[in-house]
Amino acid sequence: MWQEKQAGKLRREIEELLVPLSDADGLSDLIRAALTQGRRGLGAEVAYAKPLPLLLLVVCEAISGHYEHALPAAATIQLLMAAGDVFDDIEDADSSESLPARYGPAIAINVANTLITVAEAAITRLKARGVEDCIIVRVMDVVNSYCTTACAGQHLDLSLSSETAVSEDVYLRVIEMKSASQVECACHAGALLANANQELVDMFAKFGHNLGMAAQITNDIQGVTRGSDILKHKITLPVIYALTQTGSKARNQLELTFSKQSEPVLDATQIRDLLFRTGAIHYAMIKMESYKQRALDTLSKTEGAGASIEHLKLFLE
Amino acid sequence: MKSQALQEMIKKVFSDEKTKLQFMSNPESVLAQFNLTEQEKKAVLNTHAKLGLATADSQQLEAALDPLSYWS
Repeated sequence: MWQEKQAGKLRREIEELLVPLSDADGLSDLIRAALTQGRRGLGAEVAYAKPLPLLLLVVCEAISGHYEHALPAAATIQLLMAAGDVFDDIEDADSSESLPARYGPAIAINVANTLITVAEAAITRLKARGVEDCIIVRVMDVVNSYCTTACAGQHLDLSLSSETAVSEDVYLRVIEMKSASQVECACHAGALLANANQELVDMFAKFGHNLGMAAQITNDIQGVTRGSDILKHKITLPVIYALTQTGSKARNQLELTFSKQSEPVLDATQIRDLLFRTGAIHYAMIKMESYKQRALDTLSKTEGAGASIEHLKLFLE
Repeated sequence: MKSQALQEMIKKVFSDEKTKLQFMSNPESVLAQFNLTEQEKKAVLNTHAKLGLATADSQQLEAALDPLSYWS
């Protein structure tokens, strides 16, 4: 399958970047561990039917018909996202399986810094793949810009973490900055590396934005249906809907439960039932579907502009 | 952007049994009562067609979510 082929090439690209670390006792193993989590660049699941780590390559191929020259940029994004995950784990301190929990914050910070440094080294490899300097600079600019946005989003999220009065607009702003920006970045950079015109670059950035919003809302719904976000008392879209649209009794119970200053009055099952009963989950599903539809509409426009969208449609079906 | 009309529609469907029954038999007639955008109407109808908006349980929702699982 094309996913496996692209995933294999991305893995090899990243492995080549890790060669200089082979003498540093254990460091490259920790880097690999960070890169193997979930659907990151070295994870076995990267060749899934919806391989988001390959998105930059898929966009590039959709426009130009080839993608190999873009592999260093796809590696850069994977390395930066893995670094972000490690910092996230240090900040959240909510998983006993995370790198900082297993090896301590000092080791984890060094791993994250190494990932960032290797990511910078990765992007310089675009030159050896024949990418023009002006395109490399634009790709670097785009990657830095989205990373800055993601950091600002994380700051906003951390600043709001003790509040229950989060509005839907603020929630959407946070996920736009923290999560959708990463998907948008991959699509934007992929289009630049395909030498697309500005109109097509903008269309793909918009596609990435809407895909990223849909994907994050999906995650948030799963956080409720699977209970993980409920246990962490994380306030996401379904909870915000319930806090603003349900009757006063349910609202008070939710406020007390999600407030970190008081004892929870509802357990995880009761919260999930309440979010189903009031339509809060269904509201989030419709919002997700709406972003998905926007992504699909934009994708159709890119097809009209000459892009081959067969593989990209798989991300939405 | 948040959608007041969409919130009102969901609130009505999930708090009023008569509206819920009407939605299940004729969703368009309920949508017509709210000032939804065309995109919102389409999203409601798509979601309803996939999993029966007012009746879906957590397993049905979970099955419908899989394609978009995020990369983390």
